[in-house]
Amino acid sequence: MGFDFEYALSIVPQILKALPTTFLVTVLCCFCAAVLAFAMEFTRRSGRILGYVMRFIIDAIRSTPILAQLYFVFFVLPFYGLTLPPMVVGVLGLSVYYSGYLAEVYKAGIDAIPRGQWDAAKALHLSRWDTISVIIAPQMLRNIAAPMGNYFVSILKATPYLAVIAVPEMLGEAFDIASDTFRYAEPILVVGIIFLSLALVIAQLVRLLEERMQQSLKR
Amino acid sequence: MSFFAILLGIFEGFRVTFSIVVVGLCYAVPFAFCFGILQYFSKGPLYVAVTAIIEFWRSSPVVILLFVFYYSLPAFGITMSAFTVGSLVLGLNTGGYASQAVRAALQSLDRGQYEAGVALGLPRFQILWSIELPQAVVSMVPTFINLWIQLIKGTALVSLITMVDMTARAKEIAQIEYNPVGIYSGLLLAYLIICYPVTIFGRWVEGRNSQEKRA
Repeated sequence: MGFDFEYALSIVPQILKALPTTFLVTVLCCFCAAVLAFAMEFTRRSGRILGYVMRFIIDAIRSTPILAQLYFVFFVLPFYGLTLPPMVVGVLGLSVYYSGYLAEVYKAGIDAIPRGQWDAAKALHLSRWDTISVIIAPQMLRNIAAPMGNYFVSILKATPYLAVIAVPEMLGEAFDIASDTFRYAEPILVVGIIFLSLALVIAQLVRLLEERMQQSLKR
Repeated sequence: MSFFAILLGIFEGFRVTFSIVVVGLCYAVPFAFCFGILQYFSKGPLYVAVTAIIEFWRSSPVVILLFVFYYSLPAFGITMSAFTVGSLVLGLNTGGYASQAVRAALQSLDRGQYEAGVALGLPRFQILWSIELPQAVVSMVPTFINLWIQLIKGTALVSLITMVDMTARAKEIAQIEYNPVGIYSGLLLAYLIICYPVTIFGRWVEGRNSQEKRA
């Protein structure tokens, strides 16, 4: 069975119809993961025992495959009577997985802030929340913009995993088409090309943003 | 089935997981060093070509690459076994990331190291081999360990291209018996048992490296 270019071209619009889903999932996951990681990182720093527990949780998230985590959320929650739509399960799974990584990014970003900033906040008698939200977080965000951007690209590239739990994003759409026509080669290659170009374009945007930020810091 | 029996059943897939990791590393490490060093040295069209190859392996999502190699390439007359596709794709994807660690480590070395080599009249290759690389490797190690964990975790994906690894075993057991909680926590635990020691080892190396820098 050779490769049919005309057929490949004819299914491009159908696959692109799933592009908004891919983007929606990506944006939701980036947001949820960023917030969740923030909570995780500051819990890790808050107390001794809580800190150790959080540290283990973060390491455990980082030590198990995203596929296994997705299966876990997808099959175990319904067992306890909580049946969520695949889309929600997917966003939940990806967010938790990437929050483990982003927590590490935050950690590096906070460690790079001079100790004096914490001390000064204490001297001014700021509450813990004020210290974090007004003093530490803004400086941290500046430190971590670049690695965070890279993880956002990773999240985009992780969205095809959701095809295994029946979220209708681009890879899922490709498999739907394939099971109608029994031709797998073309739909999958089309998705591959779309994803590669998307990832390259967005990675380039992240790089530009990074340069912008570095320039504004120099001034 | 007891939880322990499930865990044992899942570990029946360990041999496949393990061999993909080992063969994958045989692709990843040489690729990382060859292309990392080439990117460090090359200019002009060669640089563009090298970067394009690295970016291809690094920027495509692994799942998609696996499917493209397994389902689409046969249409062009290239047919590979699931094992070859799995180890090749996962290995070179990891290798693509690792090549950036190699290049970054070489670039971050003090220029004086290279100049001292030139002043001693060493040939370029020997400067690389006996001055630059030994120092660069030290700073690459933490990244390499992280990528090694990525590779181990990535092997879960080969279950999608018909290979019976640990994840596929879990799905098989799930078909025999309705016990999602036991089976899928067993699967998570199985990967945790393999990867957690490596994670801890990575933290230890990282901590030691940064201590040395401070000293």
